[in-house]
Amino acid sequence: MFASVPGHLPDPGGIYYSSLPLWVTLIPLLVGIGLYFLKNRFEVLRKVISLAASLASLAGVLIMLPMVLNGTVSFDLINFMQMGLFFRVDLVGWIFAVLITFIWFLATLFSFVYMDFEHNRPRFYSILIFTLGATLGVVLSGDFFTLFLFFELMTLSSFILVIHEQNSEAMQAGILYLYLGIAGGLALLFAIMMLFSATGTVEMIPQLDQLGENRTLIFILFLVGFGVKAGLVPLHIWLPQAHPVAPSPASALLSGIMIKTGAYGILRVALVLYSGAGQGGSDHTAYLFNAGNALMWVGIITMFSGALMALLQNNMKRILAYSSVSQIGYIATGLGAALFMATEGAMGFTGAVYHVINHAFFKAGLFMIAGTIFMYTRELELSRLGGMFKKMPFAGVVFLIAAAGIAGIPGFNGYASKTLIHDALLIAIKFNDLFSIRAAEIIFTLTSALTICYFIKLFRGVFMGKVPEKLDRKYPLALSTRIVLGTFAVAIVAIGLFPNYILENFLLRPAELLQYEGYAMDHLYHFHFFDWEMLKAMVIVVILSLIIYLPGVRLKWFDWRPPPWLSIYALFYQPLTNRLMAFTCRAGLMIDTTVDNAYTSSGNAARSMCGYVVDMEGGLDKFYKKWGLIGRKLAEGSRNMDQKLDQFYLKTGKAAKKLADKSADMDSALDNAYEKTGKTAQKLARQSANLDQALNVVYDQAGKKTREEIDKRLAAEKEKDKKGASRKWTTKNLSFDNLILILVLGLVLFIIFYFGRSL
Amino acid sequence: MLDEAAILALQFIIVGLPVLMTPILMYVCRVSERLRNGLAVITAAITFILTLVLYPFIRDGGVLQHSLFEILPGLEISVRLDVLSFSLAALASFIWFLCTIYSLNYMAHEHACGRYYPVLIFTLGACQGIFFAGDLFSLFVFFELMSIIAYILVIHEQTEEALKAGYKYLVMTIIGGLALFFGIIAVFELGGTVSLGAGVIVTEKTTLGLVAFICFLIGFGMKAGMFPLHVWLPDAHPVAPSPASALLSGVMLKTGAYGLMRVLFNVYSVELLIESGWNIILAVLAIITILLGSAVALTQFDIKRRLAYSSISQLGYVLLGLSILNFNSITGATFHIFSHAFMKSALFLAAGSIIWKTGKRNIADMKGIGRLMPLTLGSFSLAALAMIGIPPLNGFLSKWTLALGALDADIPGYVLVLLISSLLNALYYLPIIIPAFFENPPGYENGEHGDNHDLIIKVKEAAPLMVAVVVLLALCTLIFGLTPNNIAFSLSRLTALFLLGGGSL
Repeated sequence: MFASVPGHLPDPGGIYYSSLPLWVTLIPLLVGIGLYFLKNRFEVLRKVISLAASLASLAGVLIMLPMVLNGTVSFDLINFMQMGLFFRVDLVGWIFAVLITFIWFLATLFSFVYMDFEHNRPRFYSILIFTLGATLGVVLSGDFFTLFLFFELMTLSSFILVIHEQNSEAMQAGILYLYLGIAGGLALLFAIMMLFSATGTVEMIPQLDQLGENRTLIFILFLVGFGVKAGLVPLHIWLPQAHPVAPSPASALLSGIMIKTGAYGILRVALVLYSGAGQGGSDHTAYLFNAGNALMWVGIITMFSGALMALLQNNMKRILAYSSVSQIGYIATGLGAALFMATEGAMGFTGAVYHVINHAFFKAGLFMIAGTIFMYTRELELSRLGGMFKKMPFAGVVFLIAAAGIAGIPGFNGYASKTLIHDALLIAIKFNDLFSIRAAEIIFTLTSALTICYFIKLFRGVFMGKVPEKLDRKYPLALSTRIVLGTFAVAIVAIGLFPNYILENFLLRPAELLQYEGYAMDHLYHFHFFDWEMLKAMVIVVILSLIIYLPGVRLKWFDWRPPPWLSIYALFYQPLTNRLMAFTCRAGLMIDTTVDNAYTSSGNAARSMCGYVVDMEGGLDKFYKKWGLIGRKLAEGSRNMDQKLDQFYLKTGKAAKKLADKSADMDSALDNAYEKTGKTAQKLARQSANLDQALNVVYDQAGKKTREEIDKRLAAEKEKDKKGASRKWTTKNLSFDNLILILVLGLVLFIIFYFGRSL
Repeated sequence: MLDEAAILALQFIIVGLPVLMTPILMYVCRVSERLRNGLAVITAAITFILTLVLYPFIRDGGVLQHSLFEILPGLEISVRLDVLSFSLAALASFIWFLCTIYSLNYMAHEHACGRYYPVLIFTLGACQGIFFAGDLFSLFVFFELMSIIAYILVIHEQTEEALKAGYKYLVMTIIGGLALFFGIIAVFELGGTVSLGAGVIVTEKTTLGLVAFICFLIGFGMKAGMFPLHVWLPDAHPVAPSPASALLSGVMLKTGAYGLMRVLFNVYSVELLIESGWNIILAVLAIITILLGSAVALTQFDIKRRLAYSSISQLGYVLLGLSILNFNSITGATFHIFSHAFMKSALFLAAGSIIWKTGKRNIADMKGIGRLMPLTLGSFSLAALAMIGIPPLNGFLSKWTLALGALDADIPGYVLVLLISSLLNALYYLPIIIPAFFENPPGYENGEHGDNHDLIIKVKEAAPLMVAVVVLLALCTLIFGLTPNNIAFSLSRLTALFLLGGGSL
């Protein structure tokens, strides 16, 4: 078992240049746009054109088969958007493409009758075909940039499909889908940009060496971007809302095909971009082991929680939606196992791709059955349905076949793919005996059991039991419906009975191309699907499911309605997005208004400062004015004073003049007085002279003697006077003896005073 | 093909013709309004065509720097023509031409058209003058001229709100202008010349150089709506009449970006900026602008205010690209100037059509309007998707190129900012276009099936010329994204090569 067969060296084959991929993508896009403008009258024409378009795509893809078996089909539109539009179709992409076109064809056929019960909308058909083109573009693309282009286009156009009904539930689901899709797309864009920046190319080739230190971030971003579309937990929250509200053909396509594009993307990233093939050795092995393990566990969690949630639902389409989540988990598990097994990963790879094929068939079929029932009964709730098996036996039988397929009953297609994935896990355990992988395998088995459980629930709820009165009438199924459902049934059974056909013809070669080898590849070459080992696993699953189901029904476990708050949507997404939005808005508004207010308030502050300046200036003005007034008053005052002084001077002048006058008067008066007195004195003198004369006369008369004596006496007196006068001190009068007397006196006096001084 | 003299003459005509037509337009309206309107359109058309005539010269890599006269030693007035000038001049004249055509119908019943048309044409001339200016001083003169005359467009409605908004705009323009003036003087002091053709003017890392740089940031950033000088934008753009809003948002903001580009490459040099780290200032402000613009746009319910904040955010992209200073980022920034001009003009004109036809400005009133006005709303949606960054539209291409530039410079954080802003763009554009198409117009109730699938709603579109202009602009967003090596992208690439390769003769 462990010996390795000499490996077939993979021959990548030739490159066929053909514009077929472009046309296969472009024609539906253009036809879709054109269909929109076709007026309502051209009902039949519209249906014919849409069917023709999908058939044309199918034919185009089928034509590529011989080329794809021997190589790749390639088409380039260089310089498109500076990066170029590259189409590369290899066998893996081709498988997806043929699946897409085939299921789309069936869905278009189904929608004729279905949409007749709805309102024939030109929009529905046109968008249906347009989305076909976009989806094909995703899987036919040759590099991540082209893939991203068509991926976004697909998101936008499928949004219109989701909100077809345009009631509030549909709008809410659609908007959630769109926003998550755009967010996922942006994560994808980030990853692609980093890829381009790190390696210089966005081709889907092994690049693990060149990715550098950001490779984990790029991986996570790719996983998030594609995971939103694929419906990996916890990015799946849009799925249970969007798939039920869309019209059933669209739901079938959403569940059956469009989530697979997410899986396709993850496949390209995990198994091609991050492939260890041809890259330097053991360092990568460890890294890939971790990456693959992570992916696998994401798959396991998705698978389990999807199944669990499906079990608790009571709406037909919601059960199917959660079932899709669960089944994508299977695919992701397979891819993860393939990744971490590195070159031994053939089993996981083939299992995952096989499951994509199988799931497309049975899930699309199941949704169309649900659509058939809804079409006629307008009911989706399990509680209001029942007993449809008797009314629509054809649908019931197909349902059973599909359910068997999804459950993995041997003989139906699901068995093949689930066995492969299970085997991949077993091989993983063989190679790396880790507890985590064992646990994964156990959860795998458990989930398969739960799958059976919820399908029993669904079947019983819809097809068994009593028919409600309202719905008790005949339901003739239209031919096209029968054809479509029958095709699904046939396909499921055919693949189930001959599982090796697809394995050997379509899956081995891509596995070789991805350079898988070793034990797993050997195992694949002659895989015995109906070995007892595999069957045993299924038996365990069935028994387990019965163990869970029977008590569950009795104890009404499955009727437990989880509280509305118990969902990722309510617990995480809504509060998170609400808070983020509120925060963003509030922060933004706050900053903006603060800045705005800063300007206004600075403007106001500046203006009030100017006001202050004006005040100040006014104050200064007043100040000056005041002091000016004071000054003026002072000036006036001084002028007054001056005037007063002037007057004063005048007055005193006058007074002085008066005084002067008066003194002059007085003077003159004195003068007069002196004159007068002089005159009187003169008079007196004259009179005294007269008197004297008189006296003289008298005297003369009195005696001459006496006169002589008097004259003598007068002369003696006069001599005395003369003497006396000569006693005047003149040099002539000086006598020597008087002088000596005075000198001696003086000397005595001097001696007395001089010596007496010292006493 | 064209020699220097011819090109100079062409440039003079391109700038002079609109300016000369202004008084003519003012007097012609006494004769006939239709004549005046027609003359306005013809002037804009001639300006556009003459600008296009310069393309062969540019394609051959020609650069023209002609000095006219000297005011002071070293302060020359000159004329310049290079790839960057041409790109923006062609873009501006194209958008102006379309907006003038749009105005014919839009302003038919408005007041004061006698003032509107001359001012519109004059501003065109001033705008082209900015792009053809060969030195900072004449650039400054035309810049201020354009900004101040555009005030008349802003206050056209003469409501109290418009006057307040115009006042704010005017004050901020003057602040910016003073800062610019100071910057120019500082540069003159540092380098001895203000000519844009003299290679690098500031060569050393000095404090005065930093101060001048900040002054330029203030001056040109204020025009470009950079945080924190953006506050005039959300008030001024909504109150102006829609064609004027489209021009303000679509073209006049870009003159600020143009000025910054000239400053970054012709005044300072890439080496100096990177070495001194001054481009980080621009980067930080740009990031805040991007996030702030988008965040506040989420809260606006008047459609034109939302678009105005969106403009703030988008110009932030251009500034971010300019701050990274490598080939891809400059290409992305220039291309974003082109694409944003188309997208934002389409959006504003479509919003104008809606307001013109229905009188509604609030987004909540625009439910179901896509069924009444499918062409207008279809173009709006196309332009909005381009803003969000959906391939293959031109908005995606510019974001892709900018992101590549950021990754080349090893800063993945910028890419994250761009992506977050894209998400925010989606969050505020989708709530306009989804209800427009998928909900009922007011007055139309749901049909018997409980949904509106069978409602027949009569299409009431805006006037044909208006619709044609809007559709044309929206198609441009598609064409310039889809076609390989379209003229806008190749011009952007040439600009980046030119600017990074020296940016002068």
